[in-house]
Amino acid sequence: MESLADTLWDVVICGTGLQQSLLALALSRSDKKVLHIDPNDFYGGAEAAFSLQEVESWVEKVETGKEGLFEAASVKKLGGDTGLSFPRAYSLALAPQLIHARSTLLSQLVSSRAYRQVEFLAVGSFSIFKPSPDSSQKPTLVRIPSTREDVFSTTAISAKAKRGLMKFLKFVLDYDITPQTDTWQPHADAPLTEFLLKEFKMDQELQTYIITLTLSLDGKINTRDGLAVIHRHLSSMGMYGPGFAALYPKWGGLSEIAQVSCRAGAVGGAVYMLGTGVKTMNDKDDPIVIELSSGDTIKTRKVVRANESATDRFGINRLVAVVGSSLKSLFESTVEGAPKPAVAIVAFPAGSLSTATGEASTSPVYLSVHSSDTGECPANQSVLYFTTGSEHASQDLLQQALDSFPAALSGDTVPQCLYKLQYKQLQSSAHSQANGSIFDFAPPASALAFDDSILQSVQDAWKMVLGDEAVEEEYLTFADREGAMDDDESV
Amino acid sequence: MADSGAPKPSSSVKLVLLGEAAVGKSSLVLRFVNNDFQENKEPTIGAAFLTQKCNLPTRTIKFEIWDTAGQERFASLAPMYYRNAQAALVVYDLTKPTSLIKAKHWVAELQRQASPGIVIALVGNKLDLTNDSAGGDGEGAGVGDGEDARKVTTEEAKSYAEEEGLLFFETSAKTGYNVTEVFTAIANAIPETSLKTARGPGASSAAARTEEQRVNLNGPRDPNAKEGCAC
Repeated sequence: MESLADTLWDVVICGTGLQQSLLALALSRSDKKVLHIDPNDFYGGAEAAFSLQEVESWVEKVETGKEGLFEAASVKKLGGDTGLSFPRAYSLALAPQLIHARSTLLSQLVSSRAYRQVEFLAVGSFSIFKPSPDSSQKPTLVRIPSTREDVFSTTAISAKAKRGLMKFLKFVLDYDITPQTDTWQPHADAPLTEFLLKEFKMDQELQTYIITLTLSLDGKINTRDGLAVIHRHLSSMGMYGPGFAALYPKWGGLSEIAQVSCRAGAVGGAVYMLGTGVKTMNDKDDPIVIELSSGDTIKTRKVVRANESATDRFGINRLVAVVGSSLKSLFESTVEGAPKPAVAIVAFPAGSLSTATGEASTSPVYLSVHSSDTGECPANQSVLYFTTGSEHASQDLLQQALDSFPAALSGDTVPQCLYKLQYKQLQSSAHSQANGSIFDFAPPASALAFDDSILQSVQDAWKMVLGDEAVEEEYLTFADREGAMDDDESV
Repeated sequence: MADSGAPKPSSSVKLVLLGEAAVGKSSLVLRFVNNDFQENKEPTIGAAFLTQKCNLPTRTIKFEIWDTAGQERFASLAPMYYRNAQAALVVYDLTKPTSLIKAKHWVAELQRQASPGIVIALVGNKLDLTNDSAGGDGEGAGVGDGEDARKVTTEEAKSYAEEEGLLFFETSAKTGYNVTEVFTAIANAIPETSLKTARGPGASSAAARTEEQRVNLNGPRDPNAKEGCAC
């Protein structure tokens, strides 16, 4: 077999995060010589999914500063080993992002035929956690009405509020044309909450519903971005079936898409080396000379890598908990004919939680509950992914959310927490950019929903690698591979 | 293995290939797949996976055969490769002892990564390079008398396979000897209980439930769902 050093590579892709993996997919029919390496011994980078064993070694690496974008990681098994299944029965996602039905990512996975190897599940209800008004009552979960039918049937809000909400939903559907644009553009940079109050006379509760649908980490999203996100949500509703607006890939979310994309790269001839990074790189020469951590010295025309230096110290905090209950009440289909959802979203609005010192929370906490149908935990367990953009006492707030949540569940037995992983993911304001023969991807965004903007960076990188050979119309548009046509499948 | 007769229950089985480079993994599959198609199809480079039906007396098994696509070369196979595989073909070259060591490594890896009920077949390939009459009976086979290239005895590999509970075969992808038998044996060894549905890669007993949950990205879409009319 040809040695690595004997080949003049067209591109070395470093890292197997979603962006690099999608690039590998995009190049998989290009006849380019692709060497795809990752210093990690797992696929997915910041979007990876881990067994419990892998979580442990990842936490160790974070603690020794070897995972630049992450810090303050810790893991805890509660109640000893009882209750937990074997380590490989779990697939905990570092970035459990939901994907809106209208996302270009989905249409690209379809046009590239990579979707055939991914199982997509429905994201069900979005709910708000309402704390108990006094100690004699339990907190509750209120489902956010986000379709016209929902608004009609909900008993959670008054008739007047329903009219306001209905008016707003109608407005958002055509928000980007006149005369709607005249209404919101003067408020474009102001907080969405202000706009909702001024133009739609929404009270704080309704504002909270709308803000939750934006999944804004600090709750302070501006009117321009907020309307765009709500529009994405509403226009995604029903696209792939009744009753849901977003999807989630089984077995760990984006990690699965990264793996499937890398396999497509390998099928197309790319060479894969995990556990191998760039030790030294001489980019003054053409071709670029790289010494790999494996000891091999290789030559390549182009390099695509991730900028993993966090330039900003702020970030998001996460708490991942495995609980010993299937939390059935959260995963009921609400619309006839809807697929059974595997993911439910719960928002703890600002003010609904308080820290140990009694201060009310100033940012929302989001909870993404994954049933065992996601393949991320065994049956009769669930995975709870808590996220907050709060900088202040954030792990304390996440813990509060975890502690308060069970009381709001109707009918379910109070779940026992079996396992807890906590970490902080740092952000960066760096942009993706090409510099001569080197392309740097910006660090992945840590939003709760997949943001299509990274797809443009992937396409830019693809263009850099292919140069004049790039035909934009053919980007990620492939025929099925030999043998992939399945006569039992409806195509 | 011709497709004929009354329709029988049909099930999809994901089968993964493992083994050192150049032991003949892909050749075995191409032999198996091409024999059935009866078309002189050229081997395809870059196949995502190949499918082939195997007709048993009471049912039809449709193999979805996944090649490593070279990701095994630097031990870089992804969890998704093993996921839901119901069968695995671990191949070694019986003229190369190190390839059996590698095969044992893959068996251990499968026991660690794959579903507990996976059916594993250990296959010693390149029987045509030995003096065994069985393997050398095809045209163009063999390297001539007295030049037996076999380095791994049948007994050694067989006793290992028995210890680990693996199916065991010696084959020649070149002559076709024993190739169909391997796949038929695997098909027969897959427990009926894990064959409830005929859909999708990695269909399992939970598949019926999965089916009602899975969102089809390519299916008919709600015509009313344009730009949010559902709301």
